Amino acid sequence: MGAVDLTQFHKTFFEESLEGLDAMETALLALDSGSTDHELVHTIFRAAHSIKGGAATFGFADVAAFTHVAESLLEEVRSERRAVDGALIDLLLRSVDCLRAMLARSSSGQPAADAGSETLRGELLRLVSGEAAAAPGAAAPQAAAVDGWDIRFVALPHLLQTGNDPLRLFRELEQLGRLEVRRAFVLDSAPARLAELDPSQCHLGWELRLHGAIARGDVDAVFDWLDGDCELAIEALSGQARAAAAQPAPAAAPPAVAPASATAPAAPPAREATASATASAEASSIRVGIDKVDALINMMGELVITQSMLSDIGEHFDFTKLERLREGLAQLERNTRELQESVMRIRMLPIGSVFNRFPRLVRDLERKLGKQVRLELHGEHTELDKTVLEKIGDPLVHLVRNAIDHGLETPEKRRAAGKPDAGTLTLDAHHEGGNIIVRISDDGAGLNRAAIVGKAVERGLVQPGQQLSDEEVAELIFAPGFSTAAQATDLSGRGVGMDVVRRNVRDLGGSVGVKSEAGKGSVFTIALPLTLAIIDGLVTAVGEERYIVPLTSIVESLRLGAEAVRRIAGGGEVFQFRGDYLPLMRLHRAFACAGAITEVERGIVVVIEDDGRRVGLLVDDLLGQQQAVIKSLEKHYQRVQGVSGATILSDGSVALIVDVGGVVRLGQRSKAA
Amino acid sequence: MAGKRAAKQNQDERPAVPDGVAVVALPADCRLAAQAALQAELVAALERGAGVALDASAVERVDTAALQLLVLLRRELASRDGALAWRGASAAFNEAAGLLGLARILELPAAGPA
Repeated sequence: MGAVDLTQFHKTFFEESLEGLDAMETALLALDSGSTDHELVHTIFRAAHSIKGGAATFGFADVAAFTHVAESLLEEVRSERRAVDGALIDLLLRSVDCLRAMLARSSSGQPAADAGSETLRGELLRLVSGEAAAAPGAAAPQAAAVDGWDIRFVALPHLLQTGNDPLRLFRELEQLGRLEVRRAFVLDSAPARLAELDPSQCHLGWELRLHGAIARGDVDAVFDWLDGDCELAIEALSGQARAAAAQPAPAAAPPAVAPASATAPAAPPAREATASATASAEASSIRVGIDKVDALINMMGELVITQSMLSDIGEHFDFTKLERLREGLAQLERNTRELQESVMRIRMLPIGSVFNRFPRLVRDLERKLGKQVRLELHGEHTELDKTVLEKIGDPLVHLVRNAIDHGLETPEKRRAAGKPDAGTLTLDAHHEGGNIIVRISDDGAGLNRAAIVGKAVERGLVQPGQQLSDEEVAELIFAPGFSTAAQATDLSGRGVGMDVVRRNVRDLGGSVGVKSEAGKGSVFTIALPLTLAIIDGLVTAVGEERYIVPLTSIVESLRLGAEAVRRIAGGGEVFQFRGDYLPLMRLHRAFACAGAITEVERGIVVVIEDDGRRVGLLVDDLLGQQQAVIKSLEKHYQRVQGVSGATILSDGSVALIVDVGGVVRLGQRSKAA
Repeated sequence: MAGKRAAKQNQDERPAVPDGVAVVALPADCRLAAQAALQAELVAALERGAGVALDASAVERVDTAALQLLVLLRRELASRDGALAWRGASAAFNEAAGLLGLARILELPAAGPA
């Protein structure tokens, strides 16, 4: 083989390793919640194993060395020589974090290992060698106490196709020591009749005993790279009893993967994450399901057929073909719409990739706060535009933190209130109309009305003694600068309050609200648009130009008499609207449009709202409602104040989309001036 | 190699095959590529119904897949009350069957002087 430049594979290695770490984390958390599924252990092991293999192949020696130790520990769990407890899962979760950091350092060309990783590696090493060697002192060689190994080796059907012949493996084992085949057996998967056998499929299994003081690593080395091709259990012949004595933690011998609750220390055990493991896909690329691509190709095929049909009609057109032309155009419209939907769907990713980070977050928080949380995730497969998905993560994290920090009570308080010790936190995502609804609900104490009102009075947000409905109280927590600092912790009281959450959600064209019942819990509801790429807009005319106002921000459109508008000092204009004076923005002036109507009474005022502030826009006319595909102005031209983008109208002309937030801010300034 | 020669010498004294028993000689290279043909031959021998006699004395290279074929042959024969007889086995064959712990299942006679 010639010299292959391995660096070209590094990116893939990092991506796959990070995915593997995510899978490890998910599986560890599932184990932590008491699941005894042995497949989870295999998943964790496989992930560590392939990271080790990849790291060694690509020359990331530090990563490989670290993973190797972690893998040895995992192997003990896998072969049921070590029980799973809270401390072990903690250690492994820390290893996952450490590996993430190491990979990050490697990918930026720095040395992967640092003091932290070395300390952790030492910790893992002590655990591994302490167990296997069963001798005091971490430096004892692994093989010291072992008289041999019992190996149960069951081929998976495709084993032979990987080029791994058990014959060769057994020969290698023979090199290590005397190999005794205690039993060879035919698996149930073998066909009853010879004629039906596919000779390339293997249906055999063995129970082997390898005699001699052989290092575990040497045995493992033989079966290296067979992961996923066979079922393997390796057990030390002796030394188990001694290992148990040397290890303060649960004994090595009992069938491992005991429910975590049996051995878990102070950590609250009652929690289960019903998260389905969905691989998170992030970064700059999107993984698209092949079904979506196929749908797209199908649609393209339809479009080509329609196009050729139309050009056929156009070739020799006469009026007898008018009906067919109409049909063809209708079909074209249908095709285009479907194609648009399919293309949009490519950008849609399941919200599970965001939900996946919560089991870990919740676990860390419950330990820190001494609370018990049962996390339930629903609707992880609900799909959301990638951009929306990326930006919704932080607000969701904030809400989840808040719910655990402020919402859920401590076990003692819950018991006193007659509730189960563990609070339930539910994340739910589903479609509703053209929106995605994400709901974060807890069964905690609900909003603390007295504390909120007290804080609001202190901040001057409401008058003392003012009567407030529950909704108004709930709204208060979204007020800028409102943070119930009295109970602020390092988790949720960092000055960024719910106002930031609302701001972020609004930026995505969504809304957030809360419903709360004292003693029963709170529900935060986030409504998000399916996509940022299309908006429903009202097309307005200003002179020769067309402007699109997003429908969601329009309060009302009205005609005003000339007398309704008042000039104020500084040149601004205001008009009365529902008992309030709103600034009037003449769009033709703001955007310098020629030929527009300048008299207020001849035009139409569109009242728009952003963040509770309203402004009236004077336009010539309303032309109708339309879905607009947003094109970025910044990308094609440059950023323009008051304009969030452009779109192309049915007649081919360009219309600008009004940036409601920007325009409102402009208007408010002119009113203040 | 000495074993192989010994096995060949043994050929003259090998037990006579009863009537109707199909004799299948395994090829020198018994590995995966040869197995479709071998399988067909074994199935045909099996179908004749009076038992199968195997001759592995020419086998120089063998793999797990080949031995698996024979194990399944043995199993199906047993289910049909058919007998499996050996007309000889090379040292290479004996060594592989022994290493995989399949000699007993295959009712291989104790390995030759190898």
